[in-house]
Amino acid sequence: MSRGRLLQGDGRTHIESELMRESLVDRKVIARTHSEREFEVLPDVMLVSIGGQSIFDRGRDAILPVAEELSEARGKVKMIVGVGGGTRVRHTISVALDLGLPTGGVAQLVGAMEEANAVLLNALLAKKRSMVMQREHFWELPLYLENGMLPIVISTPPYHFWEPPAEEGPLPTHGSDFGLFILAEVLGMKKLVFVKDVDGMYDKDPKKHADAKHIKRTTLGGLFAQMPDDLPIDRQLLDAWRNARHVERVQIVNGLRRGELTRALAGEDVGTIIDRGETNA
Amino acid sequence: MPDQTNSPERRDIGGSLAGATLTSARVSGIDYDPVALMPDVKIMKVGGQSMLDRGRSAIFPLLDELVPLKDKYQMLLCCGGGTRARHIYSVASELEMPTGVLAALGGYVPRQNARMLQMLLAKHGGVFMLHDDFEKLPLYFKLGCIPIMTGMPPFGYWEKPGKDGRIPANRTDAGVFLSAEVLGVKRALFVKDEDGLFTDDPKKNPSAKHIPRIGARELLKNDLPDLILERVVIEYLTRARFCHELQIVNGLKRGQVTRALEGEDVGTIIYKD
Repeated sequence: MSRGRLLQGDGRTHIESELMRESLVDRKVIARTHSEREFEVLPDVMLVSIGGQSIFDRGRDAILPVAEELSEARGKVKMIVGVGGGTRVRHTISVALDLGLPTGGVAQLVGAMEEANAVLLNALLAKKRSMVMQREHFWELPLYLENGMLPIVISTPPYHFWEPPAEEGPLPTHGSDFGLFILAEVLGMKKLVFVKDVDGMYDKDPKKHADAKHIKRTTLGGLFAQMPDDLPIDRQLLDAWRNARHVERVQIVNGLRRGELTRALAGEDVGTIIDRGETNA
Repeated sequence: MPDQTNSPERRDIGGSLAGATLTSARVSGIDYDPVALMPDVKIMKVGGQSMLDRGRSAIFPLLDELVPLKDKYQMLLCCGGGTRARHIYSVASELEMPTGVLAALGGYVPRQNARMLQMLLAKHGGVFMLHDDFEKLPLYFKLGCIPIMTGMPPFGYWEKPGKDGRIPANRTDAGVFLSAEVLGVKRALFVKDEDGLFTDDPKKNPSAKHIPRIGARELLKNDLPDLILERVVIEYLTRARFCHELQIVNGLKRGQVTRALEGEDVGTIIYKD
């Protein structure tokens, strides 16, 4: 259809388009905007998440080796590094809830603790061309990545005061893992690597159960068919993945084991690999 | 399990959440007694396609109605997008852009609309504000201003992809509801060009019957193919802590907005049931 003409006659001025005069709530109208394909903005970039509690809160002995692996991979792998906030986020939330702050108020506060970790990591890696990037400035990414820079972003999505009410409880549900996942997805990335302090995923919490079995490979559908009791990544990420079109693989590696991150970045099967699989779960 | 005997330890601050997964649905041991931040604020959405795209003939009478009330009520105006948003969604969707990109693109239009209203209201204290200015609301009200902002929530590129289609699920209705919820406002007002909710589209079916009140769950249960507000808003309403009513009024009928601000049940009220 022709597009762009201005039309009047019902008291409103419309621009002619497929969606002109339509209710954007109408399911049929929404479905018309669906297609199997979706444009990939930056498909060759990888997203690496450095855990807050699992790495940063362990201090120097955990952070420095991970930082070194990142600096060695920089320039070889195009990647964005996301950081978590860790125990200071939990403390923030604990105080905020005690004060009775609304869910959106809690969500507004937590990003600051991640920013602190982004600055810490950046201080360590600045001489290796790292930089703290405002997370929504990603139209600058081609410039940074083509020049071998290592952009560091915070993970929490910018829902802030507008965090939707949760199905249960007062805690914000759109957390760090979800935020990084959406960042990867909207840019058309294929792979996320989560650097944690466990070897990946187990059928139950390995910190509590000595007989916990390690899961080497699984698929999103497999997880939903049999969800482990304890997940090292947020459930929100898995829920969002079901509707996603780009992210093919989420890998969880142990940052406390030297070299595991490097091997994951090189495409090796270390830690736990979750593949989206053929069909949507 | 991994041998972590030689691993550096996590240094927790302690407290009831130390070690907890932060997005788990339930947190035990927390006594949560929420505080309403600014319960007296009147949050109002000015519709994009329904009001702003009509231009002067719809907007001038609405502003004439609002200006004399500005010292009586703390009014926060939020703008919808309208036909320009539909146009950019249409173009971006044809280019098979991701939902998050559509949400970011769609965000420009209600901001323009908010700036237009600010220009018209400047001499009466209209101030344009961004999401980052939200914490300055008390100042604006103290100074007798009318703050005006976009209705879009700040999700932008972080808008979740939906199952079908690319239109972002959280648009200006959602942002208005969520603003009311975080401020602890009981009722959010939506100014459109119809008297509220009908059994069918009144623009296409003149015998459609007006619905003065309906519960959110009841509305969702009916599973209508089309709704007067964004679907997510009705879903959020079912689990809201503060904002328990959405009132939809006709901004083209002189006096309806005033009556709504006075607390009268004009138009349609969708309530948390």
